[in-house]
Amino acid sequence: MKRKNAAIRYLPVILLLIFLLTGCTASGPAQSLPAERTTFAMDTLMELKAYCGDDVLDRCVERIAELEKIFSVTDPESEIYSLNDTGTSVLGNDASILLKEALSLCERTGGALDISIYPVVRAWGFTTGEYRIPAKEELAELRKRVDYSKVEMNGSSVSIPDGMMIDLGSVAKGYCSDCLAEMLKEAGVKSALLNLGGNIYALGTKPDGTKWNIGIQDPNGSGYLGVLKASDLAVITSGGYERYFEENGKVYWHIMDPATGEPASSGLISVSVIGSRGVVCDGLSTALFVMGLDRAAQMWRDSEDFEAVFVTDTGSIYITEGLKDDFHTAGAYASEEIQVITHE
Amino acid sequence: MNKTIRTRTWILLFAVLLMASLAMTAWIMRRKAPGTTACIYSDGVLIRTVDLNSVTESFEFSVISERGENRIRVEPGRICVVDADCRDQICVKKGWLSESATPIVCLPHRLVIRLEAGSADVDAVSR
Repeated sequence: MKRKNAAIRYLPVILLLIFLLTGCTASGPAQSLPAERTTFAMDTLMELKAYCGDDVLDRCVERIAELEKIFSVTDPESEIYSLNDTGTSVLGNDASILLKEALSLCERTGGALDISIYPVVRAWGFTTGEYRIPAKEELAELRKRVDYSKVEMNGSSVSIPDGMMIDLGSVAKGYCSDCLAEMLKEAGVKSALLNLGGNIYALGTKPDGTKWNIGIQDPNGSGYLGVLKASDLAVITSGGYERYFEENGKVYWHIMDPATGEPASSGLISVSVIGSRGVVCDGLSTALFVMGLDRAAQMWRDSEDFEAVFVTDTGSIYITEGLKDDFHTAGAYASEEIQVITHE
Repeated sequence: MNKTIRTRTWILLFAVLLMASLAMTAWIMRRKAPGTTACIYSDGVLIRTVDLNSVTESFEFSVISERGENRIRVEPGRICVVDADCRDQICVKKGWLSESATPIVCLPHRLVIRLEAGSADVDAVSR
């Protein structure tokens, strides 16, 4: 009898303790705040967030600065500048790995990605912000200088024809995210989110074990059109909305079709490529944007290293089959029907 | 009899604490509602915060650094860059920031305006 009374008497206290001790686990020490860094590099804003010590992220920021110094097209001290300037060069480790990777992507996409397009992009004013529409003759002349297959690579020695200029900007941020992800994994980090100017790498999972939620920018507005659940994946989007100018009511964007020397007009206004290697996703997002939906879908069927989300100029959303369970539309697009591209 | 009263007191106390905790939780959650505070960074340094929800009258101010000037306008619930002497005008073209999908960034001036806490349902936006 006495025992039972005691139990009843202490029951509220026990309940209260349970309540107080379990109610706040979300902010408990097991899930402390992430380390965060913001840095301006490669002509964009980079935001790093990782559940680890500050020193690890400091090393990441140093690595970003180091890579920028190697790949910059405008810095007279960069390896790429020197190659463009003299036409021949012996590249360091990072530059030769990335150039080799980039050339294989150019080849794989049949030239839809071409790392020698730089003179054309420059003629349109996208490198300075002083936009203009080059004359047909000027573009024809410039296009003679564009042909990635004329880059000769022998180990780390590279030579390019007279007048050619290489720009690794279409793959550098993807490569950078791969390098950072590797550094973080080696340091034992299980949870990190790298946002290199909208090029995302989701490392591991969120601290609570669920996948990261990555929004896909709405090409027609300021929000996002859908959300992708990602873990150990790069999510890289190319869209005409990123950099463009208007003249006489026509929009000219920065993604050039190497075949015409003019802004790509394939019927796509946004392409997101999702895969485990940032460098591949980065290069392919540009290439698939140039290729258009049909060729891009075929490319996906012939490949095994990526998935993709496409938005057409008529507002339709297409996803590849592998994303079926991890992608859903959001906001103004929530009721939009998603077309699934299959292997058929 | 005495014991019953004591038990009831405990139950009452527990109920009051529970209610207080719930009220507290609701208050904390509301305080952390995303997209209410705009944070303005110049070259990575937080220089000013504006609670957009408490704004009743519009106002403007300038952020001036050695790189240039951005004129910022605040209206109830939203913020934008109205004028800048930068080369690309991307910050001006970006328009109003009211939901926190992506920050306003002026690369030439290294200016960033972002809404605190970010959007509740995404961790980052690929663009």
